[in-house]
Amino acid sequence: MGLTQRLALRNLARNRRRTLLTAMIISLSLTALMFTDALIQGMTDTMVRSATRLYSGDAQIHHRDFLARQDESRVIDDPDTVLDQLAREPEVAGFAARALAFGMVSSAASNRAVQVVGIDPVAEASVSKIADAMIAGDYLSAAGPVTQILMGDRLAELLEAQLGDRIVVSVNNQVTEAAEQQLFRVSGIFHLNARAMDENLVFIRLPEAQAMMGLDNAVHEIAFNLSTASLATNTGLGLWQRLSNERQVAQGWTELMPQLSTMLQLTNSSTLIAGVVLFILAGLGVINGLFMSIYERTYEFGVLLAIGTRRRQLFRLIMTEGFILAVGAIGIGLVLGVLLISWSASVGIDYGSMEISGVALAEIIRPQHRIMQYSVLPLWVLAMTLVACIYPAIHAARIVPAKALHKSL
Amino acid sequence: MSPVIETLDVSKHYGEGDTLVKALDRVSLSIESGEFTAIVGPSGSGKSTLLQLMGGLDNPTLGQVHLANKDITQMSGRELSDFRRDHIGFIFQAYNLIPVLTAAENCEYIMLLQGVAETERRKRVYAMLNRVGLAGREGRFPNQLSGGQQQRVAVARAMVSRPNIILADEPTANLDSQTGSDLLDMMHDLNRNEGMTFVFSTHDPMIMERASRLIRLKDGCIDSESERGES
Repeated sequence: MGLTQRLALRNLARNRRRTLLTAMIISLSLTALMFTDALIQGMTDTMVRSATRLYSGDAQIHHRDFLARQDESRVIDDPDTVLDQLAREPEVAGFAARALAFGMVSSAASNRAVQVVGIDPVAEASVSKIADAMIAGDYLSAAGPVTQILMGDRLAELLEAQLGDRIVVSVNNQVTEAAEQQLFRVSGIFHLNARAMDENLVFIRLPEAQAMMGLDNAVHEIAFNLSTASLATNTGLGLWQRLSNERQVAQGWTELMPQLSTMLQLTNSSTLIAGVVLFILAGLGVINGLFMSIYERTYEFGVLLAIGTRRRQLFRLIMTEGFILAVGAIGIGLVLGVLLISWSASVGIDYGSMEISGVALAEIIRPQHRIMQYSVLPLWVLAMTLVACIYPAIHAARIVPAKALHKSL
Repeated sequence: MSPVIETLDVSKHYGEGDTLVKALDRVSLSIESGEFTAIVGPSGSGKSTLLQLMGGLDNPTLGQVHLANKDITQMSGRELSDFRRDHIGFIFQAYNLIPVLTAAENCEYIMLLQGVAETERRKRVYAMLNRVGLAGREGRFPNQLSGGQQQRVAVARAMVSRPNIILADEPTANLDSQTGSDLLDMMHDLNRNEGMTFVFSTHDPMIMERASRLIRLKDGCIDSESERGES
C-alpha cells in the first residue's frame, strides 16, 4: 500500500464516529436505492401479473378491427387453426378462445349491462385465474348443464342473485341481428379482487355463447400466456408475426393495455426522481463530512503544502479518502440491501385490496433482487461519492499555506 | 561565495488605503551557505512574514526573492511546490508532524514526493533519526513522543531531503528550556558538521546566543545586523 493510501486510510480512522456517520449516509442511500428498485420491480411484476394473469392473458389475438371498432361481427373465423399454431409455439404456456358480447343480465330483482364471455372451462384455466377465484358454487364444467353461469360477487350483490337463482342473459345474434335471450342459473360466484371485473363480467360456456351470438365456430378473442411474462413486452419476438396475418393480429399486454404501460413508465420515472433526491441528500452528507474533516486539518494541509506537496497530490489524497470511504460504505450498503430485500421478499408486503389505475394488486408484493442492484447502483453511488468529494478536494488543494500556517510561520 | 537566499527590496503589504499595513518594507538581505542566522524582533516586526517569503509560502507585494540563484517570485505554483520540496526544509513552532504517520513515515514523506527509491529512503530516514537521537522510536506516532522528541522528528524531516536551507519558526517556543537547549545544540552541531544553513525566526535568547548572525527587524524594516565569530 502506498503512503498516500496509508495516509488516507489513517485519516479516515482518526475520527471514527464521523467516518462511520458519513459512511452510513452512503450505505443507507445505497440500501434505500436497492430496496426501492427491488420494491418497484416486485410491484411492477405484481401489477402486470394482476392485469394479465388474472383474466386477460399476457397476449391476445383478435380480428384486426375488433378492438378498434368494438364490432362483434369481426371474428376469428377459424380458431382451431390458430389454436393448433399456438400449441406448436414453444414460448406459449397456455391459451383459450373466447366469445365476447355486450349484453344484459336480468335477475328477479334487477338487471344490468355486462360483458358476456363464452369460455372453454378447461382451456381458460390455463390462462386466467377465474377457476381459482371462486368463492361460492363451482367453476364451469363441460359435463355440467348448459345453463351454468358465473358472475362476480359485486354483480351478484347488485342483481341480488344467489347460487341457483335464475338469470336471463340477452345478447345480440350476429346472424339474425336480433336479441337472443336465454335462461341460466347462477352456478358460481367469483371474486377477482378487481372491481371492474367483479361487477361487469359473466362467464358462460363457449358453445352456448357461440350459439346465442350466432358465431357458429368463430370466436372474438384468443388469449394466451407466455412462458415468461416479460416476453410479452418483447416486440422483436417472431411469435407476433407468426400469429398475425391480414385478418388477425396478435398483441402483447403493452399494446392491449397502453394505460398500464404508461403507468409503469411513470413508476420508473418516480424511481428515478427518488434516486436523484437520495443522491443529492447523500452527496450533501458526504460533502459535509469531508468538509468537517478538512477544516479540522487545514493547518496540517498547510504543512503538507509547505513541505512540497503539490496541490494536485493533496487533491488526490482527499479523493483517495473519498474512494476508500465509498468502497467501505458500499460494502456495508450491499450487505444491508441484500438482507433487507431478502427479508422483505420472504415475508412479502401486503397492500390489501389496493387498486392502482384500475389494476388490483391481487397478490402480496415481493421485492425482487436484480443484478443491476449489485452492479449499476453501487457504481452510481461510488460515482456520486467521488463527485461529492471533488468540491472539498478542490477546497483543500486551494489552501494557501501561509494563511493556514499563520499561527506559526 | 554566492548567497543561498537573497531578498531584494522585498515588501509585503496587507490591506489598502487607510487600512494599509506594511508588514515588510523594502527588506534586502542575503544568507550565505552554512550560516546559523536568527531573525529577531518584537511581535509584529515582520519576522514570520519574512520567513514566509523566503520559503516561497507567500508572494511579496514588491521585490524579489532569490533562492539557489532562482527568483522564486516568478515561479508557478507547481514549480514553487517542487522547489520547496527540493531546496527548503521547514521546522514549525508547533512541530506540525502528520499525526497519522509514524516518525519514520513523517521523514519519508518528502522523499516519497521527491521520488527517492524505497531502500534509499529507509536508509536515510533511519540514519537521520539516529542522528537526532531517536533510534528505536521510528515506528512511534507523534502522540507517542514527547514535545522535544516531536521537534527532533521535525528537524529530521526538514533535513532528510537534503535541502539548501532550513527555515525554523520559533522552534523552541513550545519546549522547556533544557529540551530547547538540547535541540539547539543538535541543530548547531548539524550546522557545524554538515554545513547545513539555518535561518531562525525567534524571541529565544538561547538561539540568539548561538546564532552566527543576528538580523533585527523593527516595523517591517531591518533595524540592525550583527555578525559573531564561532560561538
